Amino acid sequence: MSNEQILTVPHGVSRRKFLQFCGLMAATLALPTEYAGRIASALTSAVRPPVIWLEFQDCTGDSESFLREPTLIDVLLDQVSVDYHETLMAPAGRLAEKSRLDTAQKYKGQYVCIVEGAIPTGSNGVYAMIGGRTALSIAQEVCDNALATIAVGTCAWDGGLPAANPNPTGALGVRAAVPGLGTLINLPGCPANVYNITATIVHYLTFNQWPATDSQGRPLFAYGDEIHEECERHDYYEEERFVLAWGDEGHKQGWCLFKMGCKGPQTKSNCPSVKWNSGTNFPIGAGHGCIGCATSKFWDRMTPFYRALPDD
Amino acid sequence: MPDIFLPLVMSSNQPPRPPQRIVIDPITRIEGHLRIEVQVQNGRVTDAWSAAMMFRGLEIVLKGRDPRDAWLFAQRICGV
Repeated sequence: MSNEQILTVPHGVSRRKFLQFCGLMAATLALPTEYAGRIASALTSAVRPPVIWLEFQDCTGDSESFLREPTLIDVLLDQVSVDYHETLMAPAGRLAEKSRLDTAQKYKGQYVCIVEGAIPTGSNGVYAMIGGRTALSIAQEVCDNALATIAVGTCAWDGGLPAANPNPTGALGVRAAVPGLGTLINLPGCPANVYNITATIVHYLTFNQWPATDSQGRPLFAYGDEIHEECERHDYYEEERFVLAWGDEGHKQGWCLFKMGCKGPQTKSNCPSVKWNSGTNFPIGAGHGCIGCATSKFWDRMTPFYRALPDD
Repeated sequence: MPDIFLPLVMSSNQPPRPPQRIVIDPITRIEGHLRIEVQVQNGRVTDAWSAAMMFRGLEIVLKGRDPRDAWLFAQRICGV
């Protein structure tokens, strides 16, 4: 970006904060720092794609996680137009439904659909009904005509908690409930990390393409590395210094939580570098093992959470 | 479906009307999926029903699990 260009930063955001945001996004996407300028330039001229945010069998934890990062929200909400989000929108009842239908019709193939929560398929889908329609029929209609669908959180990815054994409602993630979608980005995690949600959208706005993903549709920038390998306590693992009981001397010293059931060795996520709550900390840093929330079927495969993984 | 905006004050010389049913689904700006139905007759609410339109069965999922894990499951009832 040339110096002559005037940078019109988003409304209500200082220039400094905006550039910090762009630097942070470049870092999250594992891009060289010079890309921050390109991101800044793209964000100040990008068209605002409409977003339809669908909530099904969810706890709103992903939305909450998203809304707890004011800097990201200030910038991002200037870049997209959230036309439908049950927990945030002003209209209710059929006027809310109208907002969704209008956007889906007017911007067919141009809007981004974000899905939070699992989609129940048992008993003809009656376990999640919105405006008299099943979650499944809404998901089919909205996702099929979207530019891209982003499944935020583990529930939208593989069914998550509602799909945990014995899966009483026949809950499925988006990829199983609405198969064959053109572009489906999965951002598992319980909740999904707001930095990864934001960086995924910023990647599209900057490069006009979605980030590279693995075979499960998870962006490589966020789910490429094992938590264990990137963990700040990894050296203690190598030195076989383990916490053996809550509150013991090793726990006080911040030693490895492997023997307390940490699932870091089987979980791929960028938690150790991106962290949570504006980069404050992540579970292992706070003294609790990873529960493997970004892995498939973790409520069944990673439990009991406090049982150590087998030594390899 | 009747309009959700009804006149609440009616003059006394109007003939009684049959009850009308107002449905607001979804109720927005809350967590979860709530549906409210209200019966209105002659400008007065005569009955009302609320329904939670989403069910996950977490009580069923929790059965038989390690009790030390329960807080992690139960904590996901509501993320707000």
